[in-house]
Amino acid sequence: MMPTVRAIGWCLFLLALWEALARISPDTVLVSSPSAIAAYVAENMGLLARATAETSVNAMWGFVWGNLGAVLLGVTMILVPRSQRTLSALALLVFCVPLIASGPILRVLFGTGTGPQVMLGALAVYYTTLLTFLIGLRSVSQNWTDLMRIYGRGALSTLIRVRARASLPYLFVGLQISAPAAFLGAMIGEFTGAERGLGVLTLRAMRGLDTDATWTLAVVAACVAMAAYSVIGWVGERAVGYKPVILLSAPASSVPTASWMRLAELGFIAVLVLALWQSSMDAFDLNRFFAKRPGDVWAFLMEPQNRDTLFSALAETLSFAAPGYIAGLAVGAGLAALLVLSPSLSGAAMPVAVALRAVPIITTAPLLVLAFGRGLVGTMVVVAVMIFFPTFVACQQGLRQTPGQIVDVFKSYGAGRWHLLRAAQVPAMLPAFFASARMAVPAALLAVTTVEWLATGKGIGLLMAMTASTSDYNMLWSCVAVLALVATAAYGMVAMMERAVLRIYASEQVV
Amino acid sequence: MPSVDIHCVDVSKRFGATEVVAPLSITLEAGQTTALVGPSGCGKSTLLRMIAGLEDPDTGEIRLGDEAPQAVARRGGLAMAFQDPSLLPWRSVRANIALGAELARKPGGDVDALIDLVGLGGFADHRPAELSGGMRQRAAIARSLISAPDVLLLDEPFGAVDAMTRRRLNAELPPLWRSRGATVVLITHSVEEAVLLSDRVLVLSSRPARVVADIPVDLSGTRDARLLETPDAMAVSRQVFAALEAA
Ligand SMILES: Nc1ncnc2c1ncn2[C@@H]1O[C@H](COP(=O)(O)OP(=O)(O)OP(=O)(O)O)[C@@H](O)[C@H]1O
Ligand SMILES: [Mg+2]
Repeated sequence: MMPTVRAIGWCLFLLALWEALARISPDTVLVSSPSAIAAYVAENMGLLARATAETSVNAMWGFVWGNLGAVLLGVTMILVPRSQRTLSALALLVFCVPLIASGPILRVLFGTGTGPQVMLGALAVYYTTLLTFLIGLRSVSQNWTDLMRIYGRGALSTLIRVRARASLPYLFVGLQISAPAAFLGAMIGEFTGAERGLGVLTLRAMRGLDTDATWTLAVVAACVAMAAYSVIGWVGERAVGYKPVILLSAPASSVPTASWMRLAELGFIAVLVLALWQSSMDAFDLNRFFAKRPGDVWAFLMEPQNRDTLFSALAETLSFAAPGYIAGLAVGAGLAALLVLSPSLSGAAMPVAVALRAVPIITTAPLLVLAFGRGLVGTMVVVAVMIFFPTFVACQQGLRQTPGQIVDVFKSYGAGRWHLLRAAQVPAMLPAFFASARMAVPAALLAVTTVEWLATGKGIGLLMAMTASTSDYNMLWSCVAVLALVATAAYGMVAMMERAVLRIYASEQVV
Repeated sequence: MPSVDIHCVDVSKRFGATEVVAPLSITLEAGQTTALVGPSGCGKSTLLRMIAGLEDPDTGEIRLGDEAPQAVARRGGLAMAFQDPSLLPWRSVRANIALGAELARKPGGDVDALIDLVGLGGFADHRPAELSGGMRQRAAIARSLISAPDVLLLDEPFGAVDAMTRRRLNAELPPLWRSRGATVVLITHSVEEAVLLSDRVLVLSSRPARVVADIPVDLSGTRDARLLETPDAMAVSRQVFAALEAA
């Protein structure tokens, strides 16, 4: 009971502090106070309740479909190992399309209604669940698979009796992180032209510069997501029965293949993607006016004028995203290292970091832009905040992976904390750091395009917002295709750096 | 009663550049217990894993009766206690032991009697994490016995078991598998144990493993600790030690 009481005490203290700061702050355009938020909630109870219910239901369906898809994909990859590389490449590619870019396209395909919200919710969750679930499915010692073989049992039996159960704690971590992500996806779906929901209200509050409403909506979204996060965590603890140490991301696999093989594989996947794109459009007989095919996009991009518009917008976006990406990674890893040097601080910071992981960060984007402006700094902060928390949590976990005996060896020689950090702990952290750096690439692009679409009116986000309203579907599809390519290429570059660095510092991670 | 003999014909195995098992041919008779002894790292576990069908030999062939090991495995005729107990952490001791029968598609028989026999009475509902290393190993032995296999492979099954329990298990378990006519291969580092439990001791050389001595153990009388003090048993022990020294 004591920790709960203490946590409640801390919450009350923070609320009081916030209230006091808001009162003495002269700039009421920026900061809303808890009392103002409470007043807004009381005044708009019905509206907020309806919007929250709408968004929650959409998010829930997105959560269900996305996680179901992830589980099916994971199981297929385990049962048919040959499908693994192609399926994971496809899954990554789809994940790399920023939600704010697929949103308008889904909107035209689905028309009005909740289709896009649910679909975006599903898209927002499936990849992280797939990754954690796969790590779980593989977290099986060879002895267990040998045991199954001794009795002549095959892959299916091993899956049912061993892998499924072993993956359970990992699956629950994936589900837990999915809860805020599904919420985020549903809200982004609502940004792109829904009629009801928290996303719609957020958009309205932003446009009307209604500070109290913006803050209230962010707080409501955060509370609902955190509640879902804790409920799933609670259920998971009951279902699993024990608390295993879990690293959230697998190291990039590097099966030693010849470079021509890799090229051939890349070519195969590219052709497969184009074929899937074309055939899915044809299969549903979608109208060519808004459902563009690969050929249309190619023809469009061959016009120099179109290309110039798109690429200059892209350049602007990337010039904002890159510094934010680097800042987010640096601050996340730096803070994790700092807390190792000073363990007493860590006890205070960890619960905050875990709580903030449950907040759909995008909902804070409007607030951050209000605070830091529509220029480089505002955008950078949004991107950095989006990346900071997952990186921080992963690096902390990585630092804890330093084998105890190594730490003891250093201590027995009287080595200082800095020395230990540099020589043993940072190398132990690197795999987790790079894994989160890879995952942060799509997250950074999502953050930058969303904030451009919503708030700053710049770059490729603005371009997509404009083309969505002027029905310039060629430009819209081209933006999506180019963004997906950029994200995949950047992801690949980070993975290459990862392999190069890990080969030196953590060779056991590179199989 | 099924009786399955084990034929290894010109079997060899290498991992990369290291030759682990040199081409060797042996036949282990049905219903007999054979002990494999040899220096650490010489390839005993590798040979056992090949007999189990977990590794394919690079050359030669292994037959259990007239079947391939995998075929015997599929009909539930094989069981093995690994050097590492490898229990499933989410199952209780009882459920872990029952798993052996479940996987072999055999009726479990009396799980609780077997639990008592390996001295785990009172721990049936505990999870593996709550047991000591020796207790886990005994649970793994029980799991391998529950399916009444035709071929039973034991890789240092008593390594972590305390001396007194080991002595008791050495006396009580062999009659169980002998009465079922099982063909047993036992890896052990204890020469006394090899002599006490087996009908035949094969001494393997250091890597790559080859058979340096094939010593029959013909002892009359009940096989318990007292037997080891008889002159016959001591003579066999001396023979094994001598072969090990030469290996
Ligand atoms: N999968 C593998 N890959 C590479 N080398 C292996 C593999 N398995 C075993 N070895 C090597 O083969 C040799 C024999 O191993 P094995 O486990 O059969 O020895 P052992 O006789 O059972 O030793 P111990 O008595 O210590 O258990 C060792 O040198 C080991 O390093
Ligand atoms: Mg061994």
